[in-house]
Amino acid sequence: MILHTIQTSPAKGNRLALCLRFMREQDSLLLLGDGINSLLSPQIKQQLSNTTLYLLQDDVNARGLANALMQYDMISYEDFVALTISHNKVINW
Amino acid sequence: MKKITVLFTRSPHSTPHGREGLDFAMLSASFDQQVSLIFIDEGILNLLKDQQPMLTGNRDYIATFKVLPLYDVEDIFVCQQDLALLQLNQQDLLIDVELINDHAIQQKLADADEVLVF
Amino acid sequence: MHTFIIQVNGPAYGSQSSYHAYRFTQACLSAGHQVEKVFFYQDGVLNANMLHAPASDEFDLAKAWRELATTHQIPLINCVAAAMRRGVLAETDAKELNLSQWNSEAPFSNAGLGELVTGIETAQRLVSF
Repeated sequence: MILHTIQTSPAKGNRLALCLRFMREQDSLLLLGDGINSLLSPQIKQQLSNTTLYLLQDDVNARGLANALMQYDMISYEDFVALTISHNKVINW
Repeated sequence: MKKITVLFTRSPHSTPHGREGLDFAMLSASFDQQVSLIFIDEGILNLLKDQQPMLTGNRDYIATFKVLPLYDVEDIFVCQQDLALLQLNQQDLLIDVELINDHAIQQKLADADEVLVF
Repeated sequence: MHTFIIQVNGPAYGSQSSYHAYRFTQACLSAGHQVEKVFFYQDGVLNANMLHAPASDEFDLAKAWRELATTHQIPLINCVAAAMRRGVLAETDAKELNLSQWNSEAPFSNAGLGELVTGIETAQRLVSF
């Protein structure tokens, strides 16, 4: 079980696309920073519909996206720490 | 000893990711870790023959890929699909590599203790 | 309790990576975990520049790292080769090059990339930003 993290916007590169190619069903994905912007794309939203997905709450709130993304699982930094322990490793793309 | 996988995902020369990824891989090997290198997407371009990094004002770190076997780094993998997408083949590469598919890469990422992406 | 090594690859100003790492480190500590070291690599080495001088009403991340490290006794290790080529020098580096100025000091220390490797070997988790 791997926790994958994406910090960059899909407008800036292919980090998320690469991650999704090599991510397995049992893995989880955490979007933080501009990685959160990925969910503003309907195509990516659709693509992530079966993924275990977390968003860093502070970064969502900072961007004024709390309402737009309220359907997703928002986590604190403390939760983030716990996820790094409950997964076998973390890959930051 | 840990199993450390270094994933090269970006092209050389315009950013230092490739060089600093290779530095890390060599250091890990010299500290007796079990190191493997995987090249995907434009990261594969690090391995092209006939590069001249000095023309970009950079040191020729590309040549250093050739000394990896001296550090006992023999697990060097290139994504088959991405190599084909770049319209390249194994003969274009500077060193001997093993071509593997996406599924095999997933497995290697799962097997590693830590994975660092450059 | 778990042991962590945190790797920072982004500068103090201009990317969110270092801030993420800082908040993550704080959260690790408040949950009772041990952060063995924070290793700064790639553009992350710029965090060690002690001449960051943001306006007085702005958060000073480089200073916050130094305070966190001092309070919790966490080594802040800069990759010396990556730092020197980016113009971040400690006093000893400057003296070796006969330079009269430097811009990095304790609690940051410049050390080899091997520090990252040994940290990965001993810590239970590597988390990179």
